[in-house]
Amino acid sequence: MEQIFEVALQWVWIVPLYTLVAGVLALLWSPGAIEKTGPRPSGYLSLLATLLAFSHSVLALVALWDQPVRHLSITWFQAAGVHVTLDLTASAIAVAAMAVITGTNALAQVFAIGYLEMDWGWARFFSLLGLFEAGTCVLMLCDSAFFSYVLLELLTLATYLLVGFWFAQPLVVTGARDAFLTKRVGDLALLLGIIALLPVAGTWNFEELALWATTADLTPWAATLLGLALVAGPAGKCAQLPLHLWLDEAMEAPLPATILRNAVVVQAGAWVLVKLQPVINLSPIAVTVEASIGIATAVGCAAIAIAQVDVKRVLSYLTSSAMGIAFVQIATGQGTTALAGLFAFGMAMGLLVMASGSVVWNCITQDLRQMGGLWGRRPVPGLGFAVGAAGVIALPPLGGFWTTFAAVDHLWPSEAGLAIALLVADALAAIALARALGLMFFGQIKPMTERAPEVSWTMTLPTAIALGFVLHVPLLLGLTDWFAETWAAALAHWPVAIAVVVSSLAGLAIGGIGYWGAQPKPLLAGLGAPVRDFFARDFYTPDLYRLTVVNGVGALGRALAWFDRFIIDGIANAMGAAALMGGQGLRYNTSGRAQFYALSILSSLLLFGVLVGWPVVAESPLALNFSF
Amino acid sequence: MFSSLTIVIPILGAIAIALWPNLSSQTARRLALTFASAVAAIVLAMATQFDPAAIAPQWSTAIDWLPKLGLTYSVGVDGLSLPVLGLSALVLWVALWASPSQNLHRPRLYYALLLLAGAGLNGAFLAQNLLLFILFYELELIPFYLLIAIWGSPDRKGYAATKFLIFTALSGSFVLVSFLCATWLSGAENFDRAGLDFSHLPLTAQLICLGLLLLGFGIKLPLIPLHSWQPDTYAEASPPVSILLSGAAAKLGAFGLIRYGLGAFPDAWAAIAPGLALVGALGALYGSFNALAQRDLKRTIAYSSIGHMGYFIVALAALTPLSLLGASLQMVAHGLIAALLFYLAGTIESVTGSRDRDALSGLMHPMRGLPATSSLFVLAAMASAGIPGLVGFTAEFAIIQGAFSVYPVMASLCVVASGLTAVYFAIAINRTCFGKLDETPVPYPTVPWLQQVPALVLTVMIFAFGIWPAGLVRWSEPITAGYAAAAAPTVPPETAIATLAPATEAPTLP
Repeated sequence: MEQIFEVALQWVWIVPLYTLVAGVLALLWSPGAIEKTGPRPSGYLSLLATLLAFSHSVLALVALWDQPVRHLSITWFQAAGVHVTLDLTASAIAVAAMAVITGTNALAQVFAIGYLEMDWGWARFFSLLGLFEAGTCVLMLCDSAFFSYVLLELLTLATYLLVGFWFAQPLVVTGARDAFLTKRVGDLALLLGIIALLPVAGTWNFEELALWATTADLTPWAATLLGLALVAGPAGKCAQLPLHLWLDEAMEAPLPATILRNAVVVQAGAWVLVKLQPVINLSPIAVTVEASIGIATAVGCAAIAIAQVDVKRVLSYLTSSAMGIAFVQIATGQGTTALAGLFAFGMAMGLLVMASGSVVWNCITQDLRQMGGLWGRRPVPGLGFAVGAAGVIALPPLGGFWTTFAAVDHLWPSEAGLAIALLVADALAAIALARALGLMFFGQIKPMTERAPEVSWTMTLPTAIALGFVLHVPLLLGLTDWFAETWAAALAHWPVAIAVVVSSLAGLAIGGIGYWGAQPKPLLAGLGAPVRDFFARDFYTPDLYRLTVVNGVGALGRALAWFDRFIIDGIANAMGAAALMGGQGLRYNTSGRAQFYALSILSSLLLFGVLVGWPVVAESPLALNFSF
Repeated sequence: MFSSLTIVIPILGAIAIALWPNLSSQTARRLALTFASAVAAIVLAMATQFDPAAIAPQWSTAIDWLPKLGLTYSVGVDGLSLPVLGLSALVLWVALWASPSQNLHRPRLYYALLLLAGAGLNGAFLAQNLLLFILFYELELIPFYLLIAIWGSPDRKGYAATKFLIFTALSGSFVLVSFLCATWLSGAENFDRAGLDFSHLPLTAQLICLGLLLLGFGIKLPLIPLHSWQPDTYAEASPPVSILLSGAAAKLGAFGLIRYGLGAFPDAWAAIAPGLALVGALGALYGSFNALAQRDLKRTIAYSSIGHMGYFIVALAALTPLSLLGASLQMVAHGLIAALLFYLAGTIESVTGSRDRDALSGLMHPMRGLPATSSLFVLAAMASAGIPGLVGFTAEFAIIQGAFSVYPVMASLCVVASGLTAVYFAIAINRTCFGKLDETPVPYPTVPWLQQVPALVLTVMIFAFGIWPAGLVRWSEPITAGYAAAAAPTVPPETAIATLAPATEAPTLP
């Protein structure tokens, strides 16, 4: 029995391969390939591989719990004095993260089997999920900055294709494009940072980078540019201001993919940021920027979430907001708290997406204004949404409380402003969630929720399992030393703990007053339409980008195309025309007289001879005649 | 003699096809493919026996041809030419496969010309004598001209062919004049590469010769602002010809720049390198912005090629071992990707009758669209945009990493251009592959699997060399390391990274 664990640990590196292989095999059920069975086997195969990967990670985790970490290094590129290796490290936390990812994937895939029951694109969907899952798993093991970039870039591509899954719809197409390009902006900045890192640090291994950073001697400018580039990649991935708008548009993707994106994939960016933080710390400016975009996103996106009418968008902005909190935590040296927060938030957010997804599925609307009164009819999603909301905000004893408290407690003595901003973000998130809960489950039945029985087990069961899991998150966190410290701190600094709870309760109360009655009393509407629209339309960021970046790039492209067509090509054509016209003119020389041809041949030969033989001619006695 | 087979076999094939009476176009195509496969097999055999560590040409043959003129039939394969030779053999095979087997006007001439063009390309890659190089360089020009002029798009083929002819003939003349000047000035007895050494020429003379070479090969590459023949040619030529032109023929310009520009005039090259880096980076941006504004898929790919050759120039200007290696990788990477893109654009055009991104829509539709072709198009576009795991990234990584320590701003501009590549290809994919398939027209005919074979072969190679760069890197590394050492004799290749390190701190300051 012991041996199973040991073998699992030894082969822990192949965990990502299960789903990668399943993802490739799933393509066999594409339309036009295997048609006899229908596309469903691709989903079952994918689920099987995910369950295998999950079991394998759990077994390996048990074996690894109190053992030293394992390393594996695979050479990718070795030439011209540069040696690029894929360094993998199986630490307890990395393997635990893999278990969480594969476990969430298993739930999401069961959910997808129900949610996408009628869809024809199973092969493509599960194939992309396999790629996604494999990419995130390798990222957890990856100990190389370069390959972290590579994996983030692959996830960007997978996001593009997953968001574009229902590519016949215009909104999906623009959403996919924006997700791809916005994330690519961050990724390429990260690539530049990583490329700049190698000549100065001489390594891409995270541990060696951290060691190098302790003695690094960079000019402030270089350190700042480097730090900003390294922050940009995770900022794009985590949908932070000003690269946040893609996550909102990515909600056009099929909902099961959204479960994964909000619960697992977005967190990957923060995971990389934690590892890059020692290098970013070289520049105080970069750290300040990191914390600033984090807190701006945490507060701003939570406020935007309150004004959304689409339930998926409420959740997506809350995800951005939570990642903003993680950015603040990472920037202020609380990497462990951030990781605990990513885990607790991811689980709760996954549950929220599943709960709202199973409502969306048979109410056929994502518009919160058209929902209501589902509490009695839909107990699993209702409870799930309530528990998920409690897990996201700081309500003890669930996970969100511990991580929010740890962050506020850490910041209070030195950065009181940031601590208060975190409390505000928490309260705003509580308002947004209370509003969504109220609009969906409380109040009166609306036409769209008139016929909404509980959905099939394929969606209910994963929701229920996730619900149980979120309730157990504190127990899982309790296994760590971090929790023991936080527990002690909460006892010692109880006023801070109370302040954190009060912020959440205040948010819930405001949201509850507004939206838990029989008739919702919109809060923002009281502030007037301009204020509501400002938040509802994401601070007008999409319009701003359309007016500036998008139009600017397009105009420059058109201007250069004009230049190319009329100036560059115009010159070429003019020269060509001149040559052809010269030919037209010269053809009158072809008179047909042999003497004329002989003369032209002779004179050309003479000229050519003189040119070629000039060195000889210049020294010949003949030349003397010229020189007197 | 073995290496000469890659020249002789296609010529024999061309003669056979041209002279065989009453050959149907289907048989002509099969025959041509057989000859091309033989060439590919020979290159493969050479690759297995090749010694990457050796700098000197292997399988070399030298036969006096016109000794008075200094012309020798001297050929051989080295680490720089083997990958491009393989590319040329593969792309010729792809182009032949992409050619129609029915309803082809004058099939015997067509296939004979394609094989002749292939022979010319292989000869130029193998030539170890400057005059022989020019001979082959001009030899491939004639078949290409005829291929465009006869089988190009009906409306503008004459214009495109004439433009191609004028530009590339000029290109050949510039190269020839440069070779003649340099060789005569150096006092060499013949034009054999082995005996030539231009390093003792005065720098001015070197600069003039190099300038002429830059004009010549710059047209072929193409380098801005000498590129205006290229979008017209690529767009108006028939897809197989575009494939061969972009996948292999344009690489002759790149190959020539490395071998005869940088290789023959390292000092002059180092002197003009900063200017070249600027031209390269601007070219990368210029090509990308222009690609953004194109509606025609083939023109988009053509401008994309101009952008990608911009990276190539930046890499050559940076002169670090890694960047030069990256330049040699970029030749193959871009050849594979451009060939695949043109192949798929050709398939799309032949099935739908259009290659206008605004007229097409929803090709990804699994039943009535072109799902396999669109999927491969997405993949090829991503490879072009430098998504990791595909060969384009390998080359771009080596280029940008190698150039960053010398020209950080230019390398960063290349990254911006890479981002723009993602933009214009995302637009192209969104418009053509995504979206709603129009309900009105009759369903598109399905593309048979046999027709996808070349695309799949190219795809496999794009994946293989992206995941396993060693398969591509090992051939050229000793040679490019030698070029880097020659151009910067004070910096031994091993320490280049370490000594150049402080340079990273200087850059990008306002």
